[in-house]
Amino acid sequence: MINELLIIIFAPLIAGVIAWALDIKGVREAIGLIGAAIPLAYLAKLYSTVLNEAVNYSVTVSGFTLQFQLNTMSWYFAAVASLVGLAMALGMASTSKSSYDWLFALMSYTGVLGVFLSQDFVGFFLLWEMMTFASFMMVIRRNKHESLKYFVLSVIGAYAMLIAIGILYAKTGALDFATIRQALYVDASLGAISTAETALIFGLFLTAFGVKAGAVPLHVWAPGAYSETDQSYTTFFSGALSKAGAYGFLLLYILMGYKLYAAFGTFHGHLTFAYIIAWIGAITVVVAGFLAVLQEDIRKLFAYSSVSQVGYILLAFGLGSSLGFAGGLFHVLSHAVFKGLFWLVTAAIILQTGKTQFKDMGGLAEKMPFTFAMGLIAVLSLSGIPPMAGFASKWLIYEAAISAHMPLVAGAIFLGSGIAFAYVVRFLYAVWFGQRPSDLEDVKEAPLPLLIGMTLLAIPNLLFGVAPGIVTKYLNRMLGGEIVGGDYYKLVTPTGTYNALLVTIALTIGLVIAGLVYLYGAKVRKIKVTNTYQSGNPVTEEFNLSIRKNFYRPLAEALEFWLKYSWDRFYERLAGIVEDFADSIRQSLYNGNVQSYSWYLAIVLLILALWGVL
Amino acid sequence: MIDWKLILEVIGMLIYATFMGFIFMGIERKAMARIQRRVGPPIYQPIIDTLKLLGKKESVTHGFIYDFGPIFALGASIAALLFIPLAGFRLFSVNADLIVVAYLLEVPMLGIMLGAMSSGNPYSAVGVQRGLLTMVAMQLPYGLALIAVIQHWGTFKLNELVSLQQAHGWSILVPALFLAMIVFDIVFQAMLGLEPFDIITAPAEISMGPMVEYGGKHAAILFTQHAVQLFAETAFFAVIFLGGASNLLELLIKQIAVLFIAIFVASIYPRFTIDQAAKFFWKWPTILGIIAVLLTM
Repeated sequence: MINELLIIIFAPLIAGVIAWALDIKGVREAIGLIGAAIPLAYLAKLYSTVLNEAVNYSVTVSGFTLQFQLNTMSWYFAAVASLVGLAMALGMASTSKSSYDWLFALMSYTGVLGVFLSQDFVGFFLLWEMMTFASFMMVIRRNKHESLKYFVLSVIGAYAMLIAIGILYAKTGALDFATIRQALYVDASLGAISTAETALIFGLFLTAFGVKAGAVPLHVWAPGAYSETDQSYTTFFSGALSKAGAYGFLLLYILMGYKLYAAFGTFHGHLTFAYIIAWIGAITVVVAGFLAVLQEDIRKLFAYSSVSQVGYILLAFGLGSSLGFAGGLFHVLSHAVFKGLFWLVTAAIILQTGKTQFKDMGGLAEKMPFTFAMGLIAVLSLSGIPPMAGFASKWLIYEAAISAHMPLVAGAIFLGSGIAFAYVVRFLYAVWFGQRPSDLEDVKEAPLPLLIGMTLLAIPNLLFGVAPGIVTKYLNRMLGGEIVGGDYYKLVTPTGTYNALLVTIALTIGLVIAGLVYLYGAKVRKIKVTNTYQSGNPVTEEFNLSIRKNFYRPLAEALEFWLKYSWDRFYERLAGIVEDFADSIRQSLYNGNVQSYSWYLAIVLLILALWGVL
Repeated sequence: MIDWKLILEVIGMLIYATFMGFIFMGIERKAMARIQRRVGPPIYQPIIDTLKLLGKKESVTHGFIYDFGPIFALGASIAALLFIPLAGFRLFSVNADLIVVAYLLEVPMLGIMLGAMSSGNPYSAVGVQRGLLTMVAMQLPYGLALIAVIQHWGTFKLNELVSLQQAHGWSILVPALFLAMIVFDIVFQAMLGLEPFDIITAPAEISMGPMVEYGGKHAAILFTQHAVQLFAETAFFAVIFLGGASNLLELLIKQIAVLFIAIFVASIYPRFTIDQAAKFFWKWPTILGIIAVLLTM
């Protein structure tokens, strides 16, 4: 009997390989869907078991013992990932035309699940690399430059992690999480690992996980990689794969939290290392948010928005209080569901119109009403309109940030949510409303599998919005203690309350009253979009009345000074310098001149002579 | 079991708030007129205006979202109102805290924007753009002012804020919170859509911005929404800075006091352009807000 944990982790990969090998239209979609659904089914089956005790499994491969564990935390992350994974598979059934995509999309699915379930660094690193490689293979098919940017940054992150693991192994002699955790805990009082070494390990891990989470300044791969791939896959890429970075930050707390506290102490009453993480998160929220507002491409806008929202998670984890962890973990779920939904909507738009620029779109709400409704749910959830999952998690983060006495960080969230309003409205306006360009007249509603995928992700947005207690009850159990009180509909923290059901009811009352006023009024007559006020002038179809380019130009002008500096350009320049350096070495050392090679020999001999070898 | 008392309170408060909101709009027009040595309309003029708009024989629509936008805005304003403790009437306020109310007060903006955008009018679009940029710009000082209040009193609950202020004196008597109040008051001007931040509607510039296409009953709903919103926002101000109120008359006096400051400022300042407004909000109010927040730490 094969262990259930192995099935959960490797079912997608096996399905991907079979789908790739068979490559029969119809069959590969079916196999892929089954492979994507199996982890979710098994996780649902193991739910009650996990609540009581962790499920363990270990296997020895090439002398290494790989340990997998399904505990309350890894179950949560894996469940979020597999929900998004299933939605991705449903989306890909419509948008993907090749078995290549299925192979690597499902391979990265396996990688992500493996990262969440691993309990030692060998498995963790192997599956981390599988996840990176598979997502890289998805991007390279469309755009070489962007994929290499992603790959180089990921490799820097991964090998930073490898060095950190190496140092930890050298110091503690262990590779499994439990032993390392124990050893570092003991070391916090012994102090065998010096502060400088701890700082090095911390910095290396920060780089490793920061790259995957897309924290500023390591976010530059995200806009390119998120946009230059199948958008159904991006559902998973940004919805679940970026959570591997967030999970890494959590792991940092679990493994080294006490040691880091002992090494760096506190700063104005906050854990110093957590304070750094919180500010990285806050800066990511604001910077990526502003960049999202200024984008002219639907995919780029959501890519930056995704970076910005993951910033909220880092920020919440950085607060260091248990309420902060609860908020961050809730946001992991809500970000996965609303951003996954956004990407599926984007996939549908791109599939049906073939366009990605805002300037080519408009007036699609009438042509794709269901997709529009789903997009609206995602918009409401992302911008934090009360009875939605996005609000519940943001509310917890607000409470946590202010309770933890980090007012400026909390100010950054306020600003970030204002910015979020601005960019989602940009998306609504440019894609769904206004005049429809004449070449979009024969656009149809998205295909059925895609619509099912969207519905699958829209339900949690509404359900966990009205009943956020379902999630917080689980989080309480995970974090061990009554951190967020209340019942299914009501969240209670030490300082505040949020009754989601009552807010929904109040909003419904309001809508009913407003609706009655509307119904009381006279009848309405529908008129065409072009039948509109244009300073009293007649308007015809030839005029473009919708503002589709540079919508937020005044903001770009107000931010002119800051926009002069770009991390993207900095990295490009750095890459250019390294390339030039490599060129100059090649030209000066390997110059084809026999005499210079003999000079090299002479110099080496001279050095050896001076050393006293000869 | 049905709490009939609560239901009656809710209904009564909604009627009272809508009526008073219209009266506030009338006061605004009257006061502006007196400042310019005009007689001005009677104080109940906005009610007549709204009834006239509701009585129009036909309205035009550009589609479902065009209708839904104003309805959503009014619905959200009503919801926000129900979570604010108004004098002795607690309504639903024990069930949501300051962050929820602060968010609910912003939702109507999204509703208006949503409806305005679906009309496809370029003036609406410019108005929407300006509205959202104002919101982005004012969000930072707004947040800082709220954070200062929460940090000082140590609670997010509006009811507790009121009782703490009644026990220890109003928020504005604390120096740090007085600074926060100044910041909030500047932002308040933008929240009410008054000069120098009436960039969203900007009547002479972009012919009413988001509302340009709305007429008939849609405009009536938007007027009502504005009235409820005005009442809710002034009450919110009174609750967090002026110690709430024990009866409706006290609340009314505080609301009108707040309103008059806004009117006086609005009647002597010309309008900012949108980029000036953004730069302004990120300079002085933000600096003051940061000082206030650091003082309350």
